[in-house]
Order: sequence, then structure tokens, then C-alpha cells
Amino acid sequence: MTETIEYAAATGALSTIWLLIAIPVLSAAVLLLAGKRADAWGHLLGVGSIAATFALSVYYVVTLAGLDNRAVSLDLFSFIPVTGLQVDAGLLLDPLSAVFILLITGVGGLIHVYSIGYMAHDEGRRRFFGYFNLFVAAMLLLVLGNSFVALYVGWEGVGLASYLLIAFWYTRPNAATAAKKAFIMNRVGDVGLLIAIFLLFATLGSTQYADVFGNADALAGGTATALALLLLLGACGKSGQFPLQAWLPDAMEGPTPVSALIHAATMVTAGVYLIARSAPIYNLTESGQLVVAIIGAVTLMIGCIAGCAKDDIKRVLAWSTVSQIGYMFLAVGLGPAGYAVGILHLLTHGFFKAGLFLGAGSVMHGMNDEVDMRKYGDLAKRMKITFATFTLGYLALIGFPFLSGYYSKDLIIEAALDEGGAKGWLLGGAAILGAGLTAFYMTRLMLMTFFGKARWDRGVHPHESPAVMTAPMIVLAFGSVFAGFLLVNVFPLEEWLEPVFGPRPEAAHVLPPIVVTMIVTAVVAVGIAAAWVFVGRREVARTEPLGVSPLIVAARRNLYGDAFNESVFMRPGQWLTRFLVFVDNRGVDGAVNGVAALMGGGSSRLGRTQNGFVRSYALGMLGGSILVVAALLAVRFG
Amino acid sequence: MTEGALLAAEAVSTGEAVTFWIVGPVALAGALGMVFSRNAIHSALWLVLTMLGLGVFYFVQQAPFLGVVQIIVYTGAIMILFLFVLMLVGRESSDSVVETLRGQRQAAIVAGVAFAALVGAGIGRAVYDAPVVGLEEATADGGNVVAIARILFTDYLFAFELTSALLITAAVGAMVLAHVEKEPSERRTQKDLSTARYASSRPGTLTGPGVLATSNSLDTPAILADGQPAADSAATGIEMRELPPVPDHDTTPTKGTPR
Amino acid sequence: MIDSPSVSYTGLSPVLFVLGAALVGVLVEAFVPRAYRWGVQLGVALAGTLGALISVILIAGRNELTLSRAVAVDGPALFIEGTLALLGVLSLLLLAERSPDMGGSAFVAQAAVPVGTVRDRQLATLTYSQTEVFPLATFALAGMMIFAASNNLLVMFVALEVLSLPLYLMAGLGRRRRLLSQEAALKYFLLGAFTSAFFLYGLALLYGYAGTVDLRGIFDQAAGSEKSDALFVIGLAFLVVGLLFKAGVAPFHAWTPDVYQGAPTSVTAFMASCTKVAAFGAIIRVLYVGFGNNDWTWRPVLYGVAIVTLVVGSVLALTQTDVKRMLAYSSIAHAGFILTGTIANSPAGLSSTLFYLLTYGLTTVGAFAVVMLVRDADGEAGHLSQWAGLAKRSPLVAAVFSLFLLALAGIPLTSGFTGKFVVFRAGLEAGAAPLVVIALVASAIAAFFYLRVIVLMYFSEPAADGPTVAVPGLLTTISLAIATAATVLLGVAPGAVLDLADRAALFVG
Repeated sequence: MTETIEYAAATGALSTIWLLIAIPVLSAAVLLLAGKRADAWGHLLGVGSIAATFALSVYYVVTLAGLDNRAVSLDLFSFIPVTGLQVDAGLLLDPLSAVFILLITGVGGLIHVYSIGYMAHDEGRRRFFGYFNLFVAAMLLLVLGNSFVALYVGWEGVGLASYLLIAFWYTRPNAATAAKKAFIMNRVGDVGLLIAIFLLFATLGSTQYADVFGNADALAGGTATALALLLLLGACGKSGQFPLQAWLPDAMEGPTPVSALIHAATMVTAGVYLIARSAPIYNLTESGQLVVAIIGAVTLMIGCIAGCAKDDIKRVLAWSTVSQIGYMFLAVGLGPAGYAVGILHLLTHGFFKAGLFLGAGSVMHGMNDEVDMRKYGDLAKRMKITFATFTLGYLALIGFPFLSGYYSKDLIIEAALDEGGAKGWLLGGAAILGAGLTAFYMTRLMLMTFFGKARWDRGVHPHESPAVMTAPMIVLAFGSVFAGFLLVNVFPLEEWLEPVFGPRPEAAHVLPPIVVTMIVTAVVAVGIAAAWVFVGRREVARTEPLGVSPLIVAARRNLYGDAFNESVFMRPGQWLTRFLVFVDNRGVDGAVNGVAALMGGGSSRLGRTQNGFVRSYALGMLGGSILVVAALLAVRFG
Repeated sequence: MTEGALLAAEAVSTGEAVTFWIVGPVALAGALGMVFSRNAIHSALWLVLTMLGLGVFYFVQQAPFLGVVQIIVYTGAIMILFLFVLMLVGRESSDSVVETLRGQRQAAIVAGVAFAALVGAGIGRAVYDAPVVGLEEATADGGNVVAIARILFTDYLFAFELTSALLITAAVGAMVLAHVEKEPSERRTQKDLSTARYASSRPGTLTGPGVLATSNSLDTPAILADGQPAADSAATGIEMRELPPVPDHDTTPTKGTPR
Repeated sequence: MIDSPSVSYTGLSPVLFVLGAALVGVLVEAFVPRAYRWGVQLGVALAGTLGALISVILIAGRNELTLSRAVAVDGPALFIEGTLALLGVLSLLLLAERSPDMGGSAFVAQAAVPVGTVRDRQLATLTYSQTEVFPLATFALAGMMIFAASNNLLVMFVALEVLSLPLYLMAGLGRRRRLLSQEAALKYFLLGAFTSAFFLYGLALLYGYAGTVDLRGIFDQAAGSEKSDALFVIGLAFLVVGLLFKAGVAPFHAWTPDVYQGAPTSVTAFMASCTKVAAFGAIIRVLYVGFGNNDWTWRPVLYGVAIVTLVVGSVLALTQTDVKRMLAYSSIAHAGFILTGTIANSPAGLSSTLFYLLTYGLTTVGAFAVVMLVRDADGEAGHLSQWAGLAKRSPLVAAVFSLFLLALAGIPLTSGFTGKFVVFRAGLEAGAAPLVVIALVASAIAAFFYLRVIVLMYFSEPAADGPTVAVPGLLTTISLAIATAATVLLGVAPGAVLDLADRAALFVG
């Protein structure tokens, strides 16, 4: 170890930051182990623990803000005390993790409250809150860990929680399949992360952030690029980026709060967190950063295109999430110029996407859990609060001026364009096009859901959701509106994150910001107009129209992503499995059964020597004694 | 016996050698005869021959006391006991000597020969040039009897005493396996037996072997007029022997009285 | 005048207790009226064996040769005498069992009555039985104790006969399936007499070689002598043959399945546990004290014998369908395991053998006691198929039997595991690694048929008209309880007994 970053030791109030993880874990344990007895009060415990965690988070962040060195490390215990592989478990509270813990516990807490109402009629509600708390604990560990191994533990934990929650209604085959798909695709990404950790340990001898980031310069160029790509693979898995994006839309099989918290606001942002945290490594490799940015751009396009052709309201939002995270990847792929901006978009996206999902859940709740937008229509008057909060979220997402999305998305587009050259134009152009498509599909969603003629099924009586569900939506709507403004102008996020990412380089603007804003707004307007023309003005068919253009067919089929996965990975995988099963059955089982048969046959045959006749036995003994005598003589005289 | 007492002769005396080479094969013949003879009484008698031969060996090897004990106790008491039992059981009741197991006889012969060869060769090699030590030193003061008595009551006292446990066990075992306890009330006196006999349909004594019998022994049943053995002439507890077929009467009519 | 040899009555007290009980038992048979015989005999026998056990505990630590070097009173001898006394108590309790639920007494009312006669059928309905079993058992026990403690080959031979003769008799005294029982007795007698002849011949040859039958004398003679070794070697060979027969070691094992199956189960328990303990006690004394310097002679042969035993015992048991027969083959395999430790010719080998004998004996008594409990209309249900689903009807009995089977298999937390561990360790330390590997493989094979019974008891459907589990009488309950407790205790906390075995591992003479 040549250099380490000196984090301040956690003292005073901050020495208890482990409570942030302990409280949800304990609550999860109680909820999951208590059984049916806890059904009556389980949800309250679940919400209470997250509320307490949120309060603590606020307290810790405020305390942190008062320190000079805003990076506090708390060592907990020695996790792997093997010579040569010392891994200590510890937590790191610095500006980046502070931001995340507020997001996780704050938005998480609101969604917990929402779930009380949403899951009120579900008899597994207690179990749901147990898994939910488990998720929060794991996610907090992920962002608070002070080493890559701690991050990995949290990483796996959120993966587990995601699996459990997607398949919450495990009796549904679709849910079970979706959960398996999510887990397996996550696993593919995890391999990348794991190898990256091994590589770090092999080259630098440690996985603690202090050691790794302090000695990052010691990494050879090739190693740094390899690390960058491996970490990117892990991030793509967790965040649902190309080529591992197929699981995220399918994950909508889970209950809507799950989609809101895990697959919109927090877990899928873990990839962004990973790349942002590993900034010192990425800063060493331009090619690595380029790959990240390209992946981001490609994904945002895929997300937009696919989202245009979906009729399931949650699937549209899911592809929207894929696309928006593409924006974040694009941002962090731009280097120090984009880290803070990407995080800013992450935060604002957390607010409005969570709000949109909760709104979708509210709509589904009022429409007897119907998800097909073709069966919605004219809900604006029936569900006023939902409509209001949903609209605010929608406006924030498409980047309506001065709402939160506007700030974050425009900054990303600016930063992309500021790269200059072909890179800047391509990335920036993709981002702008994406903004337009986003506006298109979101407006389409709004029109199909809240406006137009009512296309409801028989027996559906849309009604507003109870207060326990609408209150969090309102709070999130506030966030959707004001978060951007606050985080840019009042509590500048860039400044707050400066200790982590370093100062944002002043780049010469290729286009003046105001021009960029105008272009983006114009594109957005075009998108809205197109949606009005193609969707708003025409009759919305109740069933999916056939005979559409190939682009729409491709978009419906998720741009053939699933088909590709199936033919390239799944089928060969199945053949391999069948072959191995065959080898196991014939070869291994054959060997085992063969040994058993040999023993049995030998036993029967040998057993015939025991024929019950004394003279046979006596002959055997005489023979045996001859052998003993002969052997002894041979040993003695041989 | 300790080693190193080379006061005695270095080699076996001629008398001893001649006796051994005559009596040895006789004893061996007795042993083989005992194993191979069909008749149980013959078998026992062959064994008596072997015992006598062993007695002679003891005599020749300066242990007259043991020789006498061998003849009196082993041959005289134990073998005679064997003979009593055999006669009681019936000299014809012998098991079938047909070997049912395939290869048993052959394997047994081969194994026996191999065993004898191995052990014989080994022992022969070992004692080939061994110094001959007679019993002079061992029986120096007092002779055979005193010497045996001395070690019996010092070195081998416990073995001697323990043998008594063996004898007790044998006696108890014999009682258990052979003695049928009858309740006192069960024993029928002669008067009871006589009364019962006269009350039955056959007051006469059981038939003896009869005119055509070829043997007087207890295990021979009487023959009825048609040549079949009489079932009620069987003695209890003994297996009746098979009767040879009665020779056909000569049915050619005699000259003279036509019938 | 001759000086009478010094007798250490205290040193011999365990043996004297048991012998005394045996002799008094014979007198009881003669003089006590039939109605009281059972109780008095049991009392006398228990008094003798318990007295022996207590005296062993009291004289522990003695180290002497008595009766002009004929009998040794040393650590191993006392350990084995104590083990035999304990196992003897448990076996006597089983022998004495005559509760109606367990079919009355296991012994015939009058053994002299031929099978199948009218009188035989009459006697089968009466409740009294041949109580000669008790003095016979105590004679056998006394013989076993002396067998393991004898320092003199002739005494060893006489003790061998003293222990064998009663066993031959007891094996034939079964009440039910009398013909099978008598056949077992006859087989045991014929083959036992056959091998006793070998023992005696070996004894004679060794006397011819060494000029003495004293073990130490033989040891000294073997150390340095210009005589030809052939007598010595052949004598040793025959001696070993005789001893291995008693221990039930292949290729002299053929009697074990038939005799164990035919004899009444309580007698089998007695034989399987006590005889093996005594036999191995004698083997180890002969080999270590008499031939300790010549282990390069006998070790390769015993190595091979152990391998054959392990293979025969474990492989042949795989296809057995009768519980007692299966346990008989398993006892052959266990003899192989014990041999693995015995051939180490070291204090570790000695102490591990002693410990294994104790644990094995206790487990065996327990296992056969459970076999006595599973009965149907004809008596004991021996066929394995009748044991299916036993756990549903009697969970406690099934659990206890499973414990014994697991102990026999050598599963951790049972006494069998500790025994196997120390034995294998002794073997490894002595360089017999291939043998230990084969022993482990044999353990694995053996585990199959042990676990098969457990699976059968727990996971199969019971037969429709299957056997029931009798409520054990008081005596059997006591015996089972002690055996179970010991099996668990020696598996979980064997330290004290292991130390005891270590301290006892020093021969005198």
C-alpha cells in the first residue's frame, strides 16, 4: 500500500451509522420470522423502521454537512481476516452516499406508506414489508460500504430482494419466470463485478475504497480499461442497460410499489452509483468512459423506441426507466464533466418516476388491476388527485421548463454536446432525439389513460385511491416539481459532490446553453404534437392493431432483444444442460449405480459360500489356516 | 524344560527309532481307519488303536506314567464310553456317506495333503538337527509322577483348577441336553405298566425278532407272516434298521401230497 | 517340599466373584425348588457380576502377575474384566427376561426332549425354563475374563474351552425354532472344537520352540535364538488361527452368521459382545506380550486378514434379509476394524482397541436387545421386511435402534465414531494407511445396510399384518437404557473413558 485516501474516522453521532442498516435488517427479520402473528401490525413496523431510518439519515447528513472533511469512514469488523486477503467490513459516509441514503430512505419511506394501502387486500402484506425492508437494508449497505466487497454484499442483497419481490405473487407463472430472468441477467452482470473485484485485489492488493482510489494511478492503462469494462458489465446488469436490459420490463410482474422503488428509483440506479463511485478508475481510461457513454446512448434509444409501442402502462414506464438510466450512463460516461449531472438526474428521476409508478398503481387500483391502456380512457375526472400528480410527474419527465427533469436532462444534453467533435454531436444528438421520443410516448400514455373516450371493461368503476396512497404521490409530485430547481440553485448538488468527483471542468460550450434549451424544448413540443396527431386525434382501438409498420413490430418485440437472447444464449444453454444431464444420468449415475450393483452382485455371489454345511465351513477354515501358515512362513523366511 | 542340557544323548537311540517307525505307521493307519471306516464301531476301534500307539510313544520317550494314564484313562475309559454310546444308538445307524457338495471331497483331500505337507515340512526342517534331550533332568528327583505333581501344583496349578470349571460345565451340559426330567407323578411303576398292558388289547409281551431273524440286536424289528416288519416291535428311542428282503420260498410242490 | 505359588486374591477378585457365582448357581440348580430358581439364579449371577465390576473399579491400577505368572492383573486385563463385567450384567438382564409381552422366557423348558414330540408341544406351553443358563453364562464370563488376562498359553487354552463350552450349550437352548437353535449349537461346537485343536497344536509347537508356555518366556526365546524359526512361526500361525476363530475374523468367520441367527437373541447379544471383547483381549495380549518383537512377522499377515475381514463383513451384509444375520456380518466387519488398531503394536493401538471393544460391546448388546422387542405371533420378527414402518408404531424403539445402527456405522456424536476415530488414528500412526483407507471404504459400504434399516423403519409403510413392538420388561428396559446412555455419552463426551483406556494401556509380564 503506497497511498490511501485519509477518510476521517467516524466519531460522535456518526459512529452509529451502522444503525441505518441494522434497523431495516432487524425489522425484516422480525417480519419474516414472526409469522402470521405479525400480520396485524407488520406493515406499521415496516413503515416505522424506514421512517426511523430516514430521520437518522437526515440527522447524519446534517451532521456530515457540518464537518470540514466530509468523508467519514467507520470500521465495523474484520470480515475476512486471512493473511493476504484482509477484508474489513466498514461504512463510508461521504457526500455521494449521503445523497443516496436520503433518496433511498425518503422515497422508500413514501413508497412504504403507499404500500400500506396498495397491499391492503393482500394476505402476504407482512411478508411484503419484510422483503421491502430487506431491500432497503441491502441498498443502504450497497451505497454505504467502504469497500468493493461491502458494495458487493449489498449488490447481491438487492438482487435477492428484487427476486423475492418480483415473484411476490409466486403462484403466477409469469411472475416466477420474470423473477428468474431478472436474477439470471443480474448474475451475468455480477460476474463482471466479481472479476473486477478480483482484478483489483490482484493488482492493488485491497478492495477498500481508501486503498483503491488512493492508488488508482498505479493501475496500468490496460488494467484500468479492463476494470472499467468489467464494472460496466456489472452496472449494466443491475441497471438494465444494453445488452442486459430485457429483464426490467418483465420485472413489472411484481407489485407496483416494487416497480416504483426498486425498478425506478433505487436498485436500477445502483449501476450508476457504481460507476460514479469508481470515478477515479474511469478517469484513467478514456476508452472505458467512451464505452459507457455509448452504452448509455444506445440504451436510451432502445428504451424510447420500445416504449412507444407498449400498451401496458407499467411496461411503458419501465422502458422509460431504461431510457432515463441510459441518460444517466451517458452522463457519467462523460467523465468529471458529467458525474454530478448524472447524479442529479438520478435524484430527480427518482422523484418523478416513483411518482409516475405510484400513479400508475393508483390507476390500476381504481381500474381493478387492469394494466392495458387500451382499456383506460377518460380517467382525468374520475381520479383527480392521481391525474394531477401524474401530470406533474409527466411534465417533469419530458423536461417541461423549470420542472425538475428540465434541469437535469438539459444539463446532460449540454454536457454531451460540450464534448465536442463527432462524439459530442452523436451523443448529444441521440440525447435530444431521445427527449423527443420520450415526449411522444409519455404523451401517448397520458392521452390513452386520462383523456378520450372511456374504453373500460364491464363492471369497472374507476375511483380515487385512499389517502394513504395519494399522500405519498402528492409528496413525490412536489419533488418532481421543485427538486431540480432546488438541487441546482438552492443546494447546488455539484458543489456538494465536489469532494467526491473533483471540480467540474469548465468546458467551452459548443452551443450556448440557451440554444440547447430551445432546441430541446422544440423537439419535445414536436413529440407532444406527434402524439396528439397519431394518438389523441384518432380512435384508440381496444385491441392491438395488426398490420403495422416493421418499426412498430420491432418496438413491440422489444427490438428483438428477447429473441436474440433466446436464440444465442438460452437455446444453446438448454442444449448444454440436456447434454450434461445425459452425461450425469448415464455416466455419473451409471458409475454410482454400477458400483452399487457390483457390491450387490459380489455380495450375492460371496454369500453362496455360506451354504450352511459345517464341512464347507471347516474346509474354508482349513484353507484359511493353510494360507496363514504359508504367509507367515513366507514373511519369515522369504 | 530349558535348553542347553546336553548331558543326554545327542541322537535318538536305535530302540526308540525302531519302535517309532513300527508303531508310527500303525497309529497313522488307525487314524485313517477311523476317518474312513463306514461302521461306527469299527471307527471307534481304530481310534483305540491310535490311542494305544500314542501310549507306546509315551513309554518310549521316558514318560511311563503318561503312557499308563493314556491307556487307562483315554483308551480304557473314554473310548469305552464312546463304544457304549455307539452300541446303544445302533451300529447300523450311520449317516449317508454320499457327498452332496460338489468338489468338497476333492478340495478336502487337496487341502489336507497341502496342510500336512506344509506343516510337516516346516516342523521337519525345524527339528531335523535339534539336540535330543531326554527326560532325565526333568524327572531327576522322584521320577515321572513326582515331577508332574510338582509342576502341577506350582506352575500349572491354575490351569488344573480351571479345568474343574470345564468339567462342571460339561456335566451340567450333559444333564441339560440328555436328561429328561419327569415329574414324580409321571413315573409309572411296574405295577402301573402291567395293569395298563392287561387293560390294552395286547396283553402279551412284544414280539422278539422271530424265526427268520438274522440278528438279535435291539434295533432289529420282528417280521410278520407276510415278511413286513412289525411296527410295534420297535424299541423306543432307537432307530430300527432296514430288514434285508426275505428270500423267496421255493414254491415248487414237493413230491407226494398233492394240494 | 514344594512351595505353593502365591495367589493374589485381591488381584483375582473379579474372576473369583464370577466363578463363585457360577458354582453357587450350579448348587442352586440342584437344591432350590423350581418355583424360586429363576429369581435366585438371577440374583446370584448379578451379585457375582456386579461384585466383579465393583472389585475391578476398586483394584484399578494394580500391576502384577499372580499364580506363578499364570494370570496377569494389569491395565488391559482389568479394563477388559471390567468391560466384560459390565456387558455381562447387561446380557444377564437380557437372558433373564421373561415378561409375557416378550413371549415369556427365551429358553426351552427341557432341552433334552426331542423336537416335535408330544412332550415337546406340552412343554412349550409351560412357563418355566432351563435356568442352567445362568451358571453357564457366568462360567462363560469367568472363562472370558481369564482368557483375556492369562499370561500363560496353557491357561489361555483352558480358559478358551471354559468360555466356549457354555456358549455351545446356551446356543442350543432356544425355546422357539428349536431345530435352528440346536443346529447353531452343533455348528458352533464342531467348528469350535476344530479350531481349538489348532490352538492346542500351536501351543505345543511354541512350547517345543521356547521350552515354556509363559508369554514372556516365549518373547525372550524369540528374541535371540539359534534354533530354527519354523516351529515358532508355525506355532504362531496356529495360535493365531485359533484366536481369530473366536474373534470371528475372516476366513474363520463362517460360523458367525449361522450361530448368531440360530441362537436365542439374548445369547447372541452375550456372544457378540462379550466373546469378541475377550477374544481380542487375548489376541492383543498374545501378540504384544509374547510376539511384540516379531511384529514384522505377524503384521503383514494380519494386515491381509484384516482386509479380507473388512471386505467379507461389509460386502456380504449388503444382501442379507434377516436382521440378526445382518448384525452378525456387521460384527465380522467390526472385527476387521478392531484389527486395524491392533496391528499397530503400540500403546495407541492397545488403548484404541480397548476403547473400541467397550463401545462396540455396549452398542451390540443394545442392538440385539431391540431385536428381541420386535415380535409377531411366531416369536421374533427377523425378516427385514417386517421391520418396515416401525417408527410409526413405536417411535421410541425405532429411535433407539437407529441410534445403535448409527453408532455401528460410526456416525459422529455416537460412541462408534469415537471408537473408529481412535482405532484409525492408531493404524495411521503405525503406517497402515492403505488399510485405514480400505477400512474407511468398508465403513462406507457398511453404512448402506445400517441406513437401509433406518430408512425402512422411518420411510416405509408398515406391513398390514406386521409385527408389533413388545413393551420391554423391566430387565430389558434397564439394559437398553444403560446401553443407549453409554452410546450417546461415549460419543459426545468420551474424554474420560479415552483417558482411562490410555492409562490402562500397559502390559505387565
